[in-house]
Amino acid sequence: MKTTLAKPDAPKQWYVVDAAGQTLGRLSVKIANILRGRHKPIYTPHIDAGDFVVVINADQVKLTGKKETDKQYMFYTGWMGNERYTSVAAMREKKPEFIIEHAVKGMMPRNKLGRAMMKKLKIYAGSEHPHEAQQPVTLEA
Amino acid sequence: MPRATNGPATKARRKRTLKTTKGYFGNKSRLYRYAKDARDRAEHYAFRDRRKKKGEFRQLWIVRINAACRLNGVAYSRFMAGLKKAGIEMDRKQLSELAIADEAAFTALVGQAKAALEA
Repeated sequence: MKTTLAKPDAPKQWYVVDAAGQTLGRLSVKIANILRGRHKPIYTPHIDAGDFVVVINADQVKLTGKKETDKQYMFYTGWMGNERYTSVAAMREKKPEFIIEHAVKGMMPRNKLGRAMMKKLKIYAGSEHPHEAQQPVTLEA
Repeated sequence: MPRATNGPATKARRKRTLKTTKGYFGNKSRLYRYAKDARDRAEHYAFRDRRKKKGEFRQLWIVRINAACRLNGVAYSRFMAGLKKAGIEMDRKQLSELAIADEAAFTALVGQAKAALEA
């Protein structure tokens, strides 16, 4: 008997997770595993068998220790000597969704499939999200 | 003394190699000089990876069994330990296929494994 492979066009489930008060890394692992389909017995490495994840209250995600002020995100403008740094606190003000997106992205495979699977992640700073029509299931912490 | 070569055999040998390297990039599919290197390499990788394939599939089965186990509230390592104690000798391939095809049967297996661990 041959090993069964996942069907790429199988229907996908939607999950909604509340990030308020959750630790960034612990939460991101769970999200990444769902996006990749690693929570299912039919997981297939070369096929996207994962589900959609909606994150709400992304601005209230927690970081331990002194990372709020000490952890920095680096950007490079393209000009010599012009790398820019933004602390987590500043990022939380400016673009709170980026904190979770950045963490999950780092846990995904660095290839076309990984980038395609990232598109199933929807992050919102507030407690509202426009995906009620997909009937997302609440993911417990 | 006249120089003796084996023209037809050489030609046949080279043709055989070029046949296997069809579709390769650039010179590797056209010139014997480059095709023979490409063929040697391809055969070497194919030989190695036929052996690697066994391990890679086993890895996949373990990931799948783990996912199915965690749906039933037990980790992979505890489940396998329980199966061993219960004397159930299913291999990982069959376990992973069972988890996909028949959820209820897999849950029953997890129940047996848990019972064996507690005993």
